[in-house]
Amino acid sequence: MEKIKFVIDGKEVEAIRDQCVLDVARENGIYIPSLCYNPEVKSSGGSCRLCLVEAHQAGRMSLVTACNYPIREGLEIKTDTSLVKRIRKGIIELLLARVPDSDVIKELAAKDGIDEPRFVKEGGKDYSPPLANKCIACGLCMQVCEEVVGVSAIAMLNRGPDKTPGTPYKKPSEVCIGCGACAYACPTSAIFIKDDAETRGIWDRQFKMHPCSVCGKPYIPEAQIDWIVKTTGKDRVFFDKCPDCR
Amino acid sequence: MDHTKISTIEGLNSYREKILESKKNELPTVLVCGGTPCLAKGSRQVFEAFKREFNAQGLAGSVELGIKTTGCQGFCNKGPLVAFADKDIVYMGVKPEHVPEIVEKTVKTGEVIESLGYRDPQTKKWVTEYSSIPFYGHQKKLVLKDVGQLDPTKIDDYISRGGYSALAKAFGMNPDTIIDNIEQSGLRGRGGGGFSAGRKWRSCKAIKTDVRYVICNGDEGDPGAFMDRSIMEGNPHAIIEGMIIGAYAVGSNQGYAYIRDEYPLAIENMKIAIEDARAFGLLAKDILGSGFDFDIKISRGGGAFVCGESSALMRSIGGNVGEPRAKYIRSVEKGLYDRPTVLNNVETWANVPLIITGGVQGYRKVGTKGSPGTKVFSLAGKVVNTGLVEVPMGIPLRELIFDIGGGIPKDKKFKAVQTGGPSGGCIPESLLDLQIDFDSLSDAGSMMGSGGIIVMDEDTCMVDVAKYFITFLVGESCGKCTPCREGLRRMLDILTGIAEGRGRQGDIELLEELCDVLKWGALCALGTSAANPVLSTIRYFRDEYEAHIKEKRCPAGVCRALITYRIDEDKCTGCTVCAKKCPGKCISGEKKKPHIIDANKCIKCGVCRDVCPFDAVIVE
Repeated sequence: MEKIKFVIDGKEVEAIRDQCVLDVARENGIYIPSLCYNPEVKSSGGSCRLCLVEAHQAGRMSLVTACNYPIREGLEIKTDTSLVKRIRKGIIELLLARVPDSDVIKELAAKDGIDEPRFVKEGGKDYSPPLANKCIACGLCMQVCEEVVGVSAIAMLNRGPDKTPGTPYKKPSEVCIGCGACAYACPTSAIFIKDDAETRGIWDRQFKMHPCSVCGKPYIPEAQIDWIVKTTGKDRVFFDKCPDCR
Repeated sequence: MDHTKISTIEGLNSYREKILESKKNELPTVLVCGGTPCLAKGSRQVFEAFKREFNAQGLAGSVELGIKTTGCQGFCNKGPLVAFADKDIVYMGVKPEHVPEIVEKTVKTGEVIESLGYRDPQTKKWVTEYSSIPFYGHQKKLVLKDVGQLDPTKIDDYISRGGYSALAKAFGMNPDTIIDNIEQSGLRGRGGGGFSAGRKWRSCKAIKTDVRYVICNGDEGDPGAFMDRSIMEGNPHAIIEGMIIGAYAVGSNQGYAYIRDEYPLAIENMKIAIEDARAFGLLAKDILGSGFDFDIKISRGGGAFVCGESSALMRSIGGNVGEPRAKYIRSVEKGLYDRPTVLNNVETWANVPLIITGGVQGYRKVGTKGSPGTKVFSLAGKVVNTGLVEVPMGIPLRELIFDIGGGIPKDKKFKAVQTGGPSGGCIPESLLDLQIDFDSLSDAGSMMGSGGIIVMDEDTCMVDVAKYFITFLVGESCGKCTPCREGLRRMLDILTGIAEGRGRQGDIELLEELCDVLKWGALCALGTSAANPVLSTIRYFRDEYEAHIKEKRCPAGVCRALITYRIDEDKCTGCTVCAKKCPGKCISGEKKKPHIIDANKCIKCGVCRDVCPFDAVIVE
């Protein structure tokens, strides 16, 4: 892997060619807000636009998303200019108007000095499972489900302002294994997931949970065990005990 | 004509001579326009009438060669159009009953029927020569030269007019020399970006790989734009020839033509052309004995506007949802299926054979230094002559709208012209002398786009126009990135508020802020350019926005919430037409006495104003 040097906020740092700016910024303790990007999910990033930074290269400046901008020779990144702040603030205000109930977004807005969005707020609607009124339609849930879990139970439905994650035809998905990776990855905790004594509810389906043979705690959906056994050939006995008791 | 696979360049030349030889001593070929607008106006019936007449007059032997349905001949609002191969004659508004006379006179003896020509509104004279009709006379047809002159479903027609000779010439050139030529010609992408085609090809070729792709973008989605459709329908082989040359130059063996499914005739004609080219040995294996393999697949678009964006288009071909991706790594490096890919639009590909045939210098003779060549536009809106036109780059907007377009109908005043599709901008009267090229239009806050030109007259409200285009873009935004998904609908909310009389102080500034977020923050060109219709209307027509907001008044009399209809007592003769036509039954009055509109019941549909013979209905 080819190592190269580039400049970020006036500091020269080392990176691997084509590594993304955001990862390297984090390694170097430089804060750039980001919601839709998860370093473990290759296809993620580029949609929420919160990580916009100035990229100076070959005499030209453009605003780019740090989460997927490849580092190449001669690059200089500025993360804290007035342009970056202005555009980011505009984006956060738009997100706040869409999901005024999200604590994550409220916190980001407060950081940028936004109390109230200047647009009509979407809140106050009666949102019920499977999706809380906190979704910013970034698509990370879908990407996790497809790329990491390998199941593709959810997709992004509709387009434009109506874009939303969901199961096909908004009906309970037959292929969902109830693993909850989507809810875990969601940057704004918008996906309802509810574990009762014996079942887990997610995406309008109830999954029977498998109890730990030692502590008795139900810890994994049966459907998830089936999936792992089927795709990896792992011995079913392995799942008798929960991670804490193994 | 019977044929066998042509396997050498000499074979192509002798085949061309054979076709030309067989056509000698024939009556002039009748060219009936089969473009979509003419078809809608009944050109199919005209074609059938010619067929019947040829049979009746004992010219049946010539039927096969004597009448052709061609692609768009350009002057759409005067259709159905009929022309004659290699003759300077064009007839307009032709009906089946005109056909016997046309055959008797023009076909048999070459006599011109003046009354079927164009009546010049100034001189009141009838003219039938292309050069004497301003709509045609000011044009420079290079890309469209054969569109409307040949039957697009007959490869013989294309070959006989010199088709595929550019390809034959290209095979004699070094692929790098071809790229040099394209780069030096200054050809810029006609799809909107205006990026140097040669540089794109060169970057693609520079990447080491085993597989490269070339793509033709035929996903023309701008409302009111039909340039690419007309080329695909009217001369598909020119696009194919351009693609083969491009593929040969960059070293690609597989091409895709992505055509929107709403263009059935374009898909059909492209399909026929590709199959014919294959049968003639001009596609697939060992093209013209050069040892070069290349083939083209047609991929039909599913109707999303955003799929005209190159990265979304490539995802769509790959079977995924058509969403753009960040193009920090360009598609010439990682495009379709992550392979180096050259994507050009229909018109760009159709320019390629012209450059190879005419040479760099020949090509650069037309157009400007920064934007050489011609540009095809679809002229629409409030303009007398609408249709498909091709002009040299650099001609002033005024010439396009007033000379070719014939000005504004009904003696109305020109107000603005919108170029570049929904994300283009509106250019005001003060800039009418602006020359049309990539850079001048961007400097004026609009863009070349793919070439849609929509002319607006004094009755157009610029707030309403901005609202219209933003409505379109809200519906077509893919919703992937926050600025476009959230920003556009907020802009639409504000614009709707302004149009409905709820505009507040600060709305203009808020719109400008949102435009700023879109311009800098959106993921793809659809989002970054979506601000143009709003920004350009604010820039040039700010007073109109202010009238809506401060005075709650729509100066153009368009925004329903801000206007009232009233009858001018002095002008009203009491003819009762308006009262009869009013759908809300809110106009009352006695016969022969001035009528009154009940403002409380009026739904502001404007029917009364349209039907009043005395212009007595006033909008305030």
